[in-house]
Amino acid sequence: MSPRENGTATSARRRPSLSFRPHPRTTTLTPISKDSACALEAFRDPFQTELCQEDHAPVVEEMDPFPNAVPRRRGAKSFSTLKHPMDGLVALGRRWSVSLRHKSSKQNFAENISADVEDQHHVPSSKHRRMASGSWDARSTKVAWQGCVNRRPSLNSVSALHGFYAPTAPVPAPIPGRGQEPPVLPNNGFSGAAARAAAAAQNEQMEITRAAKVERESNKILEMRVPQDSESGIGIDLRDRSEVPEAELYGLARLDPVALLPTEISAHILSYLNPPSLLNSELVSRAWREASSPHVWKQVFRGAYEQRPASETKTKLKQSSGLGKTILNQDWKKMFLVRRALDQRWKDGKAAAIYLQGHEDSVYCSQFDEKKIITGSRDRTIRVWDSQYPWACQKIIGPSSSRGLPRRGGPVNSPTSQATGSPPFMTITPPWPTSAEKEELSSPLDEDSLYHSASILCLQFDEEIMVTGSSDYTCIVYDIKNDYQPIRRLYGHQAGVLDVCFDDRYIVSCSKDATICVWDRHTGQLLRTLTGHLGPVNAVQLRGDLIVSASGDGVAKMWNVTTGQCVKQFLSKDKGLACVEFSDDGRTILTGGNDRIIYQFDANTGELVNELQGHAGLIRSLHLDSANKRIVSGSYDMSVKVFDRDTGNLSLNFPGWTTSWMLSVQSDYRRIVATSQDSRTVIIDFGYGLDGIELLEE
Amino acid sequence: MSSITLTSSDGIEMSVDRTTAERSVLIKNMLDDLGDSGDAVPLPNVNEAVLKKVIEWCEHHKNDPPSASDDDDNRRKTTDIDEWDQKFMQVDQEMLFEIILAANYLDIKALLDVGCKTVANMIKGKSPEEIRKTFNIQNDFTPEEEDQIRRENEWAEDR
Repeated sequence: MSPRENGTATSARRRPSLSFRPHPRTTTLTPISKDSACALEAFRDPFQTELCQEDHAPVVEEMDPFPNAVPRRRGAKSFSTLKHPMDGLVALGRRWSVSLRHKSSKQNFAENISADVEDQHHVPSSKHRRMASGSWDARSTKVAWQGCVNRRPSLNSVSALHGFYAPTAPVPAPIPGRGQEPPVLPNNGFSGAAARAAAAAQNEQMEITRAAKVERESNKILEMRVPQDSESGIGIDLRDRSEVPEAELYGLARLDPVALLPTEISAHILSYLNPPSLLNSELVSRAWREASSPHVWKQVFRGAYEQRPASETKTKLKQSSGLGKTILNQDWKKMFLVRRALDQRWKDGKAAAIYLQGHEDSVYCSQFDEKKIITGSRDRTIRVWDSQYPWACQKIIGPSSSRGLPRRGGPVNSPTSQATGSPPFMTITPPWPTSAEKEELSSPLDEDSLYHSASILCLQFDEEIMVTGSSDYTCIVYDIKNDYQPIRRLYGHQAGVLDVCFDDRYIVSCSKDATICVWDRHTGQLLRTLTGHLGPVNAVQLRGDLIVSASGDGVAKMWNVTTGQCVKQFLSKDKGLACVEFSDDGRTILTGGNDRIIYQFDANTGELVNELQGHAGLIRSLHLDSANKRIVSGSYDMSVKVFDRDTGNLSLNFPGWTTSWMLSVQSDYRRIVATSQDSRTVIIDFGYGLDGIELLEE
Repeated sequence: MSSITLTSSDGIEMSVDRTTAERSVLIKNMLDDLGDSGDAVPLPNVNEAVLKKVIEWCEHHKNDPPSASDDDDNRRKTTDIDEWDQKFMQVDQEMLFEIILAANYLDIKALLDVGCKTVANMIKGKSPEEIRKTFNIQNDFTPEEEDQIRRENEWAEDR
């Protein structure tokens, strides 16, 4: 099943351009001057790390962290615990099921007493037929089912099974088969125990009601010339049924559920499988392959990748999980195969680099969805880009003074440092917009007052609004549905707004003035100010009624948004914190900062759970993708790294994909978007050129 | 609580607590429609042995809160089965499938789910050949067909 194995078979699909690599260019570091000086200054005081005037934590999103249910592996057990050689058992099983289907009264052993049937043999066949054509009859087109039921009234077969279990109980030596009856093999008194227990349990239950009929039963038995040894079938095994290996439970009567059960029930069963098991089930038989319908694949695909939102309030923008659209004739199986190939690329670190150029200074913040990427920059503009080919800049929001001549870019990445990690397998640099194009993209200029007059430090959007925070001490709320028209400005902070987040009730902003402000999303009213941090508050996250903030004073705090009280504190080892992530289920808090370690805390106990090592510089931005169990980080060491959420191990390293500090990172099912101080935004796209990747778009 | 009488397909009458019986949407609707006439409710699709098992299950689960996760999406999220149900489902395949059919006919969603999950757990993690052995199924594919499906299922990007 390894995707590597069938490479030759599908080589034709491969895009010829995939191996292309850019010509190395001279590396020039873009100006770090002001910010780095500021940062260096900050580093001198370990407890008051102000992440320079305009260095701020990003807006980040993540997914619901419920892990997928671990598949239960009952199957393997059933074959390893067989007491008989497989062939013998299979043969036995076949003979039994054959004899079941053609069971005549002659084959009913004495154990029929112990089973719950008394009069069945005398029930006219018309009754069975009525049963078969009753409401289960959804399946009337399936010959197997019809035939099966008509010929084999269910009650009879159940009792027959009980009969069959019986002789396997205390048999010390092989008994040859007689007529159509299977041979009985010695079996340590173990096989069939569960069935015996089941039968015994039923026997007990029915003992009383049966008492009156015993005499009649006995007569019947005599008529049937029952083999002697079958009397042992009344043996009762009262062991706990859970101790009995599955093989003994299911190995005795083997029936094809897909042939036996109506189509919708087969589909229901298969819908509980995971994708690898469903792939295997398709190879069982033609009927099973047919049963693995697009509907089943949809359930299985979504079951494997979909995550339920965990918090009761809508805290996050809608981010694509790569689950595709529900449309007619959607090929859900193909979607799984594409998804599997995409996940393999994540494992291998195989991604293309797409550079968005146009900002004229550091890009501090970004957020994206399937359609658009929005970035905010020190150049005081906000830009909206296509997330897809041709990755064009769609809109520029900002004051006219910042719309100078485009700065022609230097090298987009740093091939030297890429040598130590995963370099892009392909590099794409869409052209800069021309001046004329830029004019066209820009908003009208008559409302200058509602633009930020300084750097855009943070932003978050959902489907209705976008909120930005700036070094001009304010936030602006934009109407996304109405072409990004500004709605209102939020005044309250005494210094730059370093991070912002919101849900459907509150907008929460944090500032260099060491406070956190909580605003009413709908009216813009300042509801309360949270004080307690001793340094600039660099990052903030909101989940339900809880806010988590991270400060340059080295402390992360948890607050109750309704009371404004600080509930808990999470300390880093010694230095300032730049970024924080709060998992959707509210259980995990990640912080990153000056000491180059990502701290993972249990939100409930406050306990430090793990420390993720690997970065060689300040960790500026964190993103937790719970659905895919990835922690993505961006650092002043100019790398983006991906860690395994569960183990904390470093799984991917992308050094030097830009030529300066990484300032914000966010990821979804197929890409990481990172912004850099070198004025570029890079899309690390694992889905680029992957055949069928568009199927996953939502 | 009042009790009602159910009649199995083989004509056996069983007296059951009404709350227990109403785990079955079919029976509940029938009772609602018929009123409390005291007549036995005929269940022509379920024989005595299966009906006893079903009633045993309903009895154990009669006080379950109405399923909050009744929508399909949530029901399908997991194949975990609680311990009592696991033991309850440790029966031979024939009985297992009869219970599933009865749960379907009687419209007892939770029992249908448990039964289907039990079968799904018998399939999970097995190779095609192991699945065939588990259910005594003949492989009716031609080698070419099998090969074709294998190739399709193993599709991955050429790297």
